[in-house]
Amino acid sequence: MSPLRRPITPEAGPSGGCGGAACGCHADLETPAPARGWQSLDDWQRLSEGGPAPVRRPEFPAIIREGPVSRRTALKLMAAASALATAACSPRPQNEIVPYVNMPERVVPGTDLLFATALTLGGYAQPILGQTWEGRPTKVEPNPDHPFGGGGSDPFRQASVLTLYDPDRSRSLLHDGDIASWNSFIRVVSQKVATFESNDGEGLRILTGALTSPSLIDQIGALLRKYPRARWHQWESLGETNAAAGAALAFGRSLRAVPHFDKALRIVSLDADFLGPGPHQVAFASGFSEGRRARRDSRELTRLHVAEPTLTITGANADHRLALRRADIASLARALAQEFGAPAATTAIVPSARDWARDWARRAAADLRDAPGRALVVVGEGQPAEVHALAHWINGRIGAFGGPVTFIEQNAPTGAPIAGLAADMKAGHVDTLLMLDCNPAYDAPAELDFANALRNIPFSVHYGIYVDETAAHSHWHVPGLHPFETWTDARTLDGTATIAQPLITPLYDGKSGFEILGALFGGYGNIANADRLAVQAHWRSFGPPEAIASQGAFDLWWRKALRDGFVAGSAFPTITPPEPRFPPTAPAMPAAAGRVELCFLPDPSVYDGRFSNNAWLQELPKPVSKQVWGNAALISKADAQRLGVGDGDIVRLSRGSVFLDAQAMIAPGQAEGSIGLHLGYGRSNAGEIGSRIGANASLLRTSDALWSAADIAVKKTGAKQPLLTTQSHHSMEGRDIVRSHTLEDFQELARATPEHEREAPATLYPDDPLHPKRPDGSTKPDYAWAMVIDESTCIGCNACVIACQAENNVPVVGPEEIERGREMHWLRVDAYYDGAPDNPDVMFQPVPCMHCEKAPCEPVCPVEASVHDHEGLNVQVYNRCIGTRFCQANCPYKVRRFNFFGYGNGQEYANLGEPMLEAVHNPDVTVRARGVMEKCTYCVQRISRARRTAEKEGREVAEGEVVTACQSACPTQAIQFGDMARHDSAVSSLKREPHGYDLLAELGTRPRTSYLGRVRSSGPALGPGDTREAG
Amino acid sequence: MPQVFRPRANTIARLVLLAIVLLPAAGVALACTLVRSDYITRVGMAVNQPVPFSHQHHVAGLGLDCRYCHTGVENSAFAGVPPTHTCMTCHSQVWTNADILAPVRQSLAKDQPLRWNRVHNLPNYVYFDHSVHIAKGVGCTTCHGQIDQMPLTAKSASLQMQWCLDCHRDPAPNLRPKNEIFATDWNPPMDERRKQGHELLKAYGVDPSKLTDCSVCHR
Repeated sequence: MSPLRRPITPEAGPSGGCGGAACGCHADLETPAPARGWQSLDDWQRLSEGGPAPVRRPEFPAIIREGPVSRRTALKLMAAASALATAACSPRPQNEIVPYVNMPERVVPGTDLLFATALTLGGYAQPILGQTWEGRPTKVEPNPDHPFGGGGSDPFRQASVLTLYDPDRSRSLLHDGDIASWNSFIRVVSQKVATFESNDGEGLRILTGALTSPSLIDQIGALLRKYPRARWHQWESLGETNAAAGAALAFGRSLRAVPHFDKALRIVSLDADFLGPGPHQVAFASGFSEGRRARRDSRELTRLHVAEPTLTITGANADHRLALRRADIASLARALAQEFGAPAATTAIVPSARDWARDWARRAAADLRDAPGRALVVVGEGQPAEVHALAHWINGRIGAFGGPVTFIEQNAPTGAPIAGLAADMKAGHVDTLLMLDCNPAYDAPAELDFANALRNIPFSVHYGIYVDETAAHSHWHVPGLHPFETWTDARTLDGTATIAQPLITPLYDGKSGFEILGALFGGYGNIANADRLAVQAHWRSFGPPEAIASQGAFDLWWRKALRDGFVAGSAFPTITPPEPRFPPTAPAMPAAAGRVELCFLPDPSVYDGRFSNNAWLQELPKPVSKQVWGNAALISKADAQRLGVGDGDIVRLSRGSVFLDAQAMIAPGQAEGSIGLHLGYGRSNAGEIGSRIGANASLLRTSDALWSAADIAVKKTGAKQPLLTTQSHHSMEGRDIVRSHTLEDFQELARATPEHEREAPATLYPDDPLHPKRPDGSTKPDYAWAMVIDESTCIGCNACVIACQAENNVPVVGPEEIERGREMHWLRVDAYYDGAPDNPDVMFQPVPCMHCEKAPCEPVCPVEASVHDHEGLNVQVYNRCIGTRFCQANCPYKVRRFNFFGYGNGQEYANLGEPMLEAVHNPDVTVRARGVMEKCTYCVQRISRARRTAEKEGREVAEGEVVTACQSACPTQAIQFGDMARHDSAVSSLKREPHGYDLLAELGTRPRTSYLGRVRSSGPALGPGDTREAG
Repeated sequence: MPQVFRPRANTIARLVLLAIVLLPAAGVALACTLVRSDYITRVGMAVNQPVPFSHQHHVAGLGLDCRYCHTGVENSAFAGVPPTHTCMTCHSQVWTNADILAPVRQSLAKDQPLRWNRVHNLPNYVYFDHSVHIAKGVGCTTCHGQIDQMPLTAKSASLQMQWCLDCHRDPAPNLRPKNEIFATDWNPPMDERRKQGHELLKAYGVDPSKLTDCSVCHR
């Protein structure tokens, strides 16, 4: 066994599998080795207990479906169809070329342009570069110049182009459901304005989501000054109110903590899914990965402790994870604080005498002490203010202030909470309600009954890009503009402002938020470029000194800010916080007997429901559960056994008189006594794609239980539905797929193998002449494209999957096809588990095409549609492919995808018959037809473009010039691509790393894609209960 | 009992046997010929256009350079069709009232683009790049024929894959020196072209062995 293949055997057995205090001392002798590398609970059963081999889904399910049409009828129809087809022959369709009337400056038809701009999520700026072709945006790239979260992307940003062209977007102004004109709307508004001018805005309310846009806040402020009795309310389903309250509790001021994960060597996360979906994901993940990148000379790696109820991707990346009910985390935080000298009287003991929770806290505290000034405690929004304050207190003790965490003043004006608005609406104090870009009828706390409260209002206006639940309950709906269609501005967490510029003229008759507000000022609101003028006016008055000096200076400044994609120096100044106070202990919530806790989670695919109608995101396998097209009640194995619930069973979650039926899913790593449910499903008015999918968690969500409800009764209903997950698709059948090393092992390995050479195993594949003798006898080597994927830094966030989908015109197939075991993603992220299901170790592995030098797919293709080119790419020639699927059967890595139907065009989920969706296609990539095999091409269009550019300029393609879509989207730089023939290229040096390996190398396929095994620094073993020892 | 088959039936049977062999072969031959015929490839057949634009008049007659209108040809995959403003640089001064130019004037007045009918149409899975061909010494008339002699624009080559491959396998005779690329009258004798072409292959750094990789044109 080579040192690379060294097995990783945890020192202690699974806590659930062995009882008794003696467990720790006889672990090595008697407990069976915990199951490694399992993908489903059936797998685990088989590996750990020697059960029967699981019945796998057949790789190629039957194509023929029983239907009402008999064979004879089918033949008759075919004959008639071919006869008609011949009869219908007509001259070939004439294509057109439509040039500009007046070509804009810098536009060259057939080439792309990049514009720096920003999307928003939860109010925060998401800096991007938008790629456009003759004014048509097709792809989002990261803006590497942006100082906060520019170096990567997330699935939401990547999928934004599909939302832009969504045929379900609102196209016209509606009055009580009927199409109305802007003028008729303005007429009503001006009557209202006349009243408000006389009564100071009595009864006028504005509701927005979270906002950081300086211009919009400015404008709302001006409106409130004009109408002093008007009120502004804010509601963000996944807002940050607990964090703000916690800071106020600790410091007595509203401060905002900005964590810098790149400066932290030891991190303790109390229910904080900082790597998970959210507005700061990219910035946090890229900072976090800095300390996790194991290279030959690595001396230390960032260590992460996580306590959380549901296995999130943060927990999956933890070195020591504790599955704990959300309600118990406060006790854990107090136990942790006690390790740092918190007064014992004020701290409660972790409940139910769970010693391992204490052990976890002790180990976490030891680690925090171990790295003074480089350790950090972070707390999730699901925790109450007290826990946030405790974390500030501990961070103060371990010297984190100024290093891993800095503080900024939180002094932007904010609106009042939504609860007051709902009360006033019920009491009849609200006359006019303007709702900007929010959907309270769907996601506001259930007890407010917002949809019904809307009935009490004489004049309600909803503004947004969809006719959603709120629009359905409002008198007026004004179609909004997609962020790619309008001017606005927004800030990232650190305060850096981006001026967001449009990439395309509005597709429909939408208005900007500034125009709606302008109408309330009494303006007609139909001014051309109202949005740009508003943003410019703000920055001309309140911008940095160089912007307000003179008009000429402003114009220069404006162009530079647009070009850069951010306003230089606009980050808020960091301040030194006062000494954090130790917070008073909040009363513990009594746990009712027979009740479980329900945790509300942001969804990694649709977030809070705002991306519900995006088919790319609906079909994106959730990072851990791999579920698609829906959500499920994530339930622990122990609870499932107790309730007699299996995967796919419909369970009824009741809270008082309210109940919700949801599909159950037995989730590895779920805390016992806690059920996780993702928000954003069960929508009624999302659109053709997103309506009526999954269970609407917000029905059980109330103001006093925004993040978890402790009093949930669970009952099995007896109904069952198949669970749609891709976890068991494309299985590589449990071979040695993922590798893991401890830091110590890795350092030893590095010493033992000074120059890591991978030996090529013997092969029976024909000796494919990859580099034939060149006719002119020159020795210039061809490029040898290769990819290296680092399993240490891959956090499993899925940004690469959607980036690949957007770049390569990868279609969606829909839930029916997923159920048949089909999907089209060229790049999948596999999740493997080690250890017992109650708290397993998780490893993520992105799997694109391996581009084998001796590719098993090639000899079996009867028409040579699968062939090599001179640069080592295993190319798939769509126009040659006749769809035998032999290549798919012969691919050991299961990376080939077949178009069983016209997924790319004409299928139900592809375009709904709407030509608009064709606009999202990358013009450089073929849209594949039915009956054609496809797979990852290493973004051959980008390689080709770089090669053509270099050839035109008479030079070689430079290192780093070709960046694949997945590589560019990765927030942690886990994917590297380049020319392996150059000794000094990044991929070459990564391939020489000691922990590099090829997937299924024993097959002799010589893959060009290789992996770096995961390296973790777990610290010394602590006790028998510690299930996450990688020893 | 009379004979069921008369002697004539022998002949018919022989003819039928012959037809069974010959007809499919003839059918295949016909299909092959048809698919290469000008009827299918539309070579030499002018396409109707909103304005009967004459390359003959503008190129041979007035001496306009190709790049005056096709501005993207050196930078982009798409050579580009000129915006209405380009037409109007001259036609706001000359032929200002000509009937055949009415669509151009309307396009400018109404801000509605002209809609030209495509002459050279490649399948969607083929990615042709004008700029790299220009940079590597393939001249305009190599593919577009004597465009300066066309009163109405028509294809002069089939644009079928066989035609592309003919040149990609043996580009030497079709390569020109840099200063001849946009010339419409470049036509040295074949042996001279081949001799010069081999030098140009080296000068341009073209490696014909890689030009037939599928990924060069298909992706």
